[in-house]
Amino acid sequence: MDQPLRLRTASPADDADRAVLVRLAAGELDALEDLYDRYKTMAYSIAYRITSDATLAEDVVQEAFLGAWRNAGRYVEGRGSVKTWLLSIVHHRAIDAVRRRRPTTELPDVEVPPPAALTLPDVWPEVSAVLDADTVRSALATLSDVQREAIELAYFGGLTQQEIAERTATPLGTVKSRMRLGLLAMRRHLEEAST
Amino acid sequence: MSEPRTYGGLTCDEVREVAGGFVLGALEPADDAAIRAHLAACPDAHEEIAELGGVLPVLAESAPVVEPSAELKGRIMAAAAEDLAARDAEGTPAFPTPDLVPIAFPNAEEREARRSRAPSRGRLLGIAAVIAIVALGGLNLALQTQLGAARSYEDGVAAVIDVAVQPGSLTAILTADGGTGAGLAAVSAFGEVAIAMQALAPTTGDQVYEAWVIGGDGVPVPLGSFKVGRAGTAFFEGVGLPTSGGILLALTLEPGPGATTPTMPIIVKGEATPAAG
Repeated sequence: MDQPLRLRTASPADDADRAVLVRLAAGELDALEDLYDRYKTMAYSIAYRITSDATLAEDVVQEAFLGAWRNAGRYVEGRGSVKTWLLSIVHHRAIDAVRRRRPTTELPDVEVPPPAALTLPDVWPEVSAVLDADTVRSALATLSDVQREAIELAYFGGLTQQEIAERTATPLGTVKSRMRLGLLAMRRHLEEAST
Repeated sequence: MSEPRTYGGLTCDEVREVAGGFVLGALEPADDAAIRAHLAACPDAHEEIAELGGVLPVLAESAPVVEPSAELKGRIMAAAAEDLAARDAEGTPAFPTPDLVPIAFPNAEEREARRSRAPSRGRLLGIAAVIAIVALGGLNLALQTQLGAARSYEDGVAAVIDVAVQPGSLTAILTADGGTGAGLAAVSAFGEVAIAMQALAPTTGDQVYEAWVIGGDGVPVPLGSFKVGRAGTAFFEGVGLPTSGGILLALTLEPGPGATTPTMPIIVKGEATPAAG
């Protein structure tokens, strides 16, 4: 592997990102422009993958960057890179958008907006700051077809475990296991590749 | 053999079982809230959650690369400029105030720090019990979910517990009464009062939440006021509260600070009673 993986450590890119975030939180518009230029492609790609709709994906990206602009002061060091933080915001908003687009019988309760805290992402100390296409491919290749299906239906499709169980005619317990074991397999693969 | 301990209504094994679904955001809201409540209170670090969550960037990177339209940047910058102008007009600081900084749930380090603050197992159990009461004690789902996500609220709860564990203290669970919001309050034997709130509607302009104590004579006495930001959480401390049981604590949303008698309806309230144990 060209790029050895490692458990996250601060990189120059992280430092630069954090500096942008400080300026963002201070209300500097230039900082938002910098952040956008750096991550627009990543943000739009994930939004489009989830929504399959160019207009909706752009709405999601706009909301996400504005969310970062308004909440930059809430970024918590040690919970992952700025990139992952932003990616989490995009992911949450994109999933929210596709869930709202579903038939009303599947909607939770669109009348009640989520509490403010819920609009914030979960971020995790990620496996590596550097993920090239080969690494991503090889990590995904560790998944069995059924594990990949369960994980992708959740992550890109916004389906709950219960919904996935119903759609794939699989017992709920099996879906839970597929998700957990699939992610664990990817994790182990990335850790092994980093040593 | 004793039953496994539960936090947020779940055992550690139950949390591990759905860890994958949790990090993927694939749980029903009630289940997600229960996990967050568990993680907020459980002394176990639950490293598996961070381990599995750390893989998500790989999934994100697997999305085919697509470029947004050139116009999107202009729209975002225009909206941000508008936002900035509105912010300046309101005099709102760009940085959210520290007490309005929620996070998903405490990480292992934070939980360890929290444990070191708790001098006894009894007190730890007390904290967990009160958090569980707030999480599951008949409050609505949004509140349950918000509980696990708001560190500021957890910090407030910890401060309330610090008061509640003192001998002779009173505690109150504040619940919505004509408004939104819920929280905990404690009153020490010396009249020190601490209130931790979440899910309050944000204040605007000069608006403040005023805390009141209503004794047996039914006359509200002001304790002080505070503002609430977008996160909806708040922590308030005051002194001078009578420490007899049966008093009522309440919040109203007043048009400005300094009210000597409530001018608006009660938003949340709760009766202060002797702390259990």
